[in-house]
Order: sequence, then C-alpha cells, then structure tokens
Amino acid sequence: MSTILRTLRNLRRIGVKDFGHQMQNIGDTKAGTLIGVDRFGNKFYENMEEELPLRTRWVDYKVNWPEYNPDQIEPGWHAWISYMVDAPPTADKILQPGQRTWEIPEHRPNLTFTRAAFKTYSTTRPKYSAWTPVAAPR
Amino acid sequence: MLPMARPAVSGALCVRPRLASCLPRANPIAALSTSSVKSATALERQSSTGQSLTASGKVRKEVPLPSQEKKEGAMQYVLTTLDQVTNWARQSSLWPMTFGLACCAVEMMHLSTPRYDQDRLGIIFRASPRQSDVMIVAGTLTNKMAPALRQVYDQMPDPRWVISMGSCANGGGYYHYSYSVVRGCDRIVPVDVYVPGCPPTSEALMYGIFQLQKKMRHTRITRMWYRR
Repeated sequence: MSTILRTLRNLRRIGVKDFGHQMQNIGDTKAGTLIGVDRFGNKFYENMEEELPLRTRWVDYKVNWPEYNPDQIEPGWHAWISYMVDAPPTADKILQPGQRTWEIPEHRPNLTFTRAAFKTYSTTRPKYSAWTPVAAPR
Repeated sequence: MLPMARPAVSGALCVRPRLASCLPRANPIAALSTSSVKSATALERQSSTGQSLTASGKVRKEVPLPSQEKKEGAMQYVLTTLDQVTNWARQSSLWPMTFGLACCAVEMMHLSTPRYDQDRLGIIFRASPRQSDVMIVAGTLTNKMAPALRQVYDQMPDPRWVISMGSCANGGGYYHYSYSVVRGCDRIVPVDVYVPGCPPTSEALMYGIFQLQKKMRHTRITRMWYRR
C-alpha cells in the first residue's frame, strides 16, 4: 500500500496539517494538484504521474470521517472521479450543474436514515368511507 | 480511530430544502410546456388559524435534525460518548449471516473477494446465526424457505439487523406473481436496508452496508434509555 519513504515524501510536500487531515480521513498520504471544488465543498485532487491506476483521482470531503459519503459528491464530479470522463466539470460545460431546467438548485445527498428521509404517502381519495354503527336497543 | 468529536452534518441535510430559491428560475423551456407548474410548495395548505398544513392535513411541525440538537448537562455528554463507543464497536465489526438464496449471493460473494475486500471493513461472514449480527437476505425467498429464514432470524442475538438484497427479497421482484414466492422478505423479518437491483452490484451492496453503518452510528442507545 504505502511505504515509509512515500509517506515521508508526501508529508514533506503537503505539510503537517494536511497530513493529519488525510490520515484521519483517507488513511493515507497523497499529494497532487487541486482540480476543483464542487458546490458541496468537496475538494478534488489528481496526480496522474506517481499514483497507481485507479488511485490517481481522489476527493477530500467537506465532512469529516466518518460522516462523509460518496453521495455528497455532485453528479459531474462523480463522473470524473469514477473515470467516466477525462475532463473535470470545470472544463466540461455539459457536466456543470445548473444547466438544466429540472435541476434542483443545490446538491442534495442521500437522506436515508435522517429525519428528512422520504416517506411514502397516499394522495388518492380513499375508496370507501367507514361508518359509525348504531346498535339498536333491545 | 474514535470519532471523539462528531462532525456536524452540514447544512445541506436540513429538513426543508430551499425550494423557494428555485422558483424564480422559471425558464423559457417551462413556458413552452402546456401543463401547469406544480411545485412542492403549491401543496402546502393553510389552516383556518393561519398555520401551514402538511399534505395529509396535519399541522406542520419543524423538527431539528439530530445533529442540530444541543446537549444539555454533563449526563448527555457522558451518554453521547458511551453511545459513540458502542456504535463504533458495532459498525466496525459487522458479522453478517449469509442467507444466500439465489444469484444475488454471487454478488455477495464478490464483496468478500479481493476487489471489494469486505474484510478491511471488519465484515466477516459467519456460518452460524448465533455469532452474527446482520443477516443479508440475498435472493428469492420462497414460501418453503420462509420458516427457515424466520428461525435463523430468531436465533440471532440482539442487536441484529437485516439487509434485504435484490428485488426478489425486497418485494418479490420478477417472481412477485408466483404462487410459491414470498412477496418481500419484510413480510417475514423486519428489514433495515433495502438494496435495489436485479441483482445489485457488489458496490450497491457495499453502499447498503455503509447506510446500515450510518444507521448504527446514529443510534442513541443509552440516551434513549436515559430519556425514559
């Protein structure tokens, strides 16, 4: 995974503060160029030269461990970090948010298991109505 | 690593999204449409006393998020830390009981193989329900298998969770109208996480496990006990 020399080399490059931040969140030290920041506040990095394949792009989440989640990444950035596209959303207009009329104005992560989670409800009229029975006196 | 200071979930998790800010963005495309605009706020009704009502007619109530709730007193701080320690232990050694019934089980096996490598998350498949705390129901649950599923669930020690994996386990799926298939394993056992897909990819199952860990992390065990 990681050697001591690589860790020390990246520590020298990124500094002690980012080293602690990365060890807390990623569990590894990585140095690269900042490609962009999405509307949620996640920072996206890339290092095509030194990292292994499929480890060349990574995200520094806005939210700290353990509350970060991949659903906090915006769709365009998700495509970039999953290697579906080559150009980041900062360079590709079609991947940028706010281009389509039906988009919601902010990025909304998965709200499952929060109080804002979706709950089904019925909007149809009930097909029958209950009555209160009246017992005749005997 | 212990989450000593739980980071506040950011403001995007608020209960009421900022819907009002999207209204001025009435675009020319929308004007071409013949159907009328139905925004979610149009459903909000006002009662006679001026309070806003929900779609079902009840008075709308604003509830703070768990992350927005303030801790009161030393006891709450102690109990929160206790809960965090317990939840950390629970979520980082998740031992699933494998209930592989059909092709979903193959994807479940892929989760344990080196590409996704569930062992790094502390997830170890156990063959016995008495040693496990999560049951992953993977595949079609038939009527004949249903008593066995319930028995295995009953043999699991508390606390226990259930992940329903795939459309067959979620709601019958392809075999919904079959005479011999249970229409969803939630008719037999209480389900925590539903993973959709036919079959779901290993990533999808892993994401479902992450959601279950999120649920464990936000369980308020001793705090609820103290409240009672």
